[in-house]
Amino acid sequence: MTTLHVQVSDAPLDPTAALEHCSAPGHGAAALFIGRVRDLNQGRQVRAVSYDLHAVLCRNVFKEICAEARGQWGESLHLWLTHRHGRLAVGEASVIAAASSPHRDESFKACRYLVEEMKHRAPIWKQEHYIDGDSDWVKGHALCSHG
Amino acid sequence: MNTNTELNPVSVRLYGAFRQFGQESTLDVSLPLDARVADLRVGLAQHYAGNDSALALLQASAFATDQAVLDEHEALPQDQPISILPPVCGG
Repeated sequence: MTTLHVQVSDAPLDPTAALEHCSAPGHGAAALFIGRVRDLNQGRQVRAVSYDLHAVLCRNVFKEICAEARGQWGESLHLWLTHRHGRLAVGEASVIAAASSPHRDESFKACRYLVEEMKHRAPIWKQEHYIDGDSDWVKGHALCSHG
Repeated sequence: MNTNTELNPVSVRLYGAFRQFGQESTLDVSLPLDARVADLRVGLAQHYAGNDSALALLQASAFATDQAVLDEHEALPQDQPISILPPVCGG
C-alpha cells in the first residue's frame, strides 16, 4: 500500500478519502487541512475562482514537498496532497492536505508544511471572478531568482 | 543574446496571467540552437514589446520543464516542453 497520495483533479475533493489514506494502526494522530474558496478578497466580493495549473510539474513538486516533510518528521508519515483545477464556486474545496503519524506534533507540522510549501512552490494560479462581472489574476510568489 | 545564427523554434506553454494577453496557449520563439533560458526571456520580451503588463509579468516569471524550474543561465533543454510560470498562488 502506498502511503503517499498526490493529485490534481477536475473533480470535487474528498476529505474522507484523505483521512482514510492517512490512517495506520501505529498512527495515533491525523491532521487535515481543507482550503476553500471564500467570498471576499482585498475588499472585493468574489463569486468564483478559476484555478489554472501545470499538472505534471505540480505533481512533481507535490512529491518533492512530501519527501521533504518525511525527511523532517519521519518516513512513517502518511501524506495526502490534492488540488483542484478549473472553476470553483465560493465554499468549494480547492486544496486538501492531510498527514498522519504516531504522535500529533508530527502530523500538525507536516500538514502545515504541505500547505505552506504548496502555496509558495506549486505551479498553480487563480483567477478571481467578482460579483460585478470583473475578473483578475491573483498576484503570487515568484519562482524565479534571476536579477 | 546568443550569437549563434542557426535558429530553432521553441514552443513555450503559457499559464496563469499570461493567458490574458492572447487566445493562444503556446508561443513560438526562434532562438539559437545553443540558447540559454535568459535568451528565451529576451525573445519573449521582444514578442511582448509595448505591452507593459506582459513585460512586468515576464520579469517576475520562471521557466520550467515538466520536471523542474530552470536556472536563468541553464541551456534550454532540447526536445522537452518549456513552460513559463508566472508567480504562483495555489490554495
